[in-house]
Amino acid sequence: MIGFASLMAGVVLLLLLVAFAANGWMAARDSWEARIAQDDNAGAEICPPEFVGHVFSRQDWEFIRGMRAPELAALFQQERKRVALVWVRQTSAMIQRAMREHATAARQSKNVDFPTELKIWRQFVSLVLICGTLSLAIQIAGPLWLASLARVAQRLSEQMTNVQSAFRPAPPVSADAAGSE
Amino acid sequence: MDPTDKPATVEQAHDDLVRHSLAKISGDLARLIYLASTRDYNTGKYHHDGLAAQFRPEIACQALEMAHRQIFGRIAGCPLERLVGEVEAYVNSSPQSRREVLEVWQKLEPYRVALPLNVNIAVAQLFISNIKLALAVLQHRRERKAAGPSGS
Repeated sequence: MIGFASLMAGVVLLLLLVAFAANGWMAARDSWEARIAQDDNAGAEICPPEFVGHVFSRQDWEFIRGMRAPELAALFQQERKRVALVWVRQTSAMIQRAMREHATAARQSKNVDFPTELKIWRQFVSLVLICGTLSLAIQIAGPLWLASLARVAQRLSEQMTNVQSAFRPAPPVSADAAGSE
Repeated sequence: MDPTDKPATVEQAHDDLVRHSLAKISGDLARLIYLASTRDYNTGKYHHDGLAAQFRPEIACQALEMAHRQIFGRIAGCPLERLVGEVEAYVNSSPQSRREVLEVWQKLEPYRVALPLNVNIAVAQLFISNIKLALAVLQHRRERKAAGPSGS
């Protein structure tokens, strides 16, 4: 029993290391997408959910494949890989930011609910692992086989940001707004 | 009548823009390029003399921005096959030769300035990537046509 638990702990640790290594490697890449995706102020608009379906769908691939041109197929795969990686980096940056904000809010809170905190941390770890796995899998096989995993990541990140925004304190009422009422 | 007297909303100005100026332009890509061209490069503010005269400059600016975002969203989310059709229609409507427009668009990538401000970076990247692919598809078709039936 102890052997099995150690094995599981080892696997989880290894996966975490791979995820962080992949994340660190990609963050270090000098591309404008990476810089912007990691910037807290950039991409102020939220990524629409249908976008994930589009990037990871096979519809456009079938169109390109129908043209029977290897150079177009190669360009398509290269381009879709790039877009999918931008989305993964953006999702990863978003959840890390949400978690940072949540941790700050939790430290200042006087009545922390531990089961809720545990649930949030479990979601965070799951998302870090999924993003790490997605990054590696996109690098290796391209995004067209990963639609289901991408949908899970999208759903989890939405849940997590919703939970996190529920914890966020309401912004103070500005003097102008208060005066106008 | 002074436009400041009119209690107009952004939605009204937007409707007017869609029914008049945009209705005269064929194709979403051409509309997108037109709307992006009404934006000042330095300030990011949109200007449209007719709309500003009818409503107010701030209302006109917001209506143009709204239309820009809507059309951008439609194009960024449309299937690649449809986008190829949009780019083809835009290229064909240009007074320049098809070959010239395709080459300039591939080299200068002028479609990058068509992005609305603060658009999600992943969506922006998909738009740029899909336009690049659509241009490559059109270039491929042109070369195949030039090579003749034996070229395929």
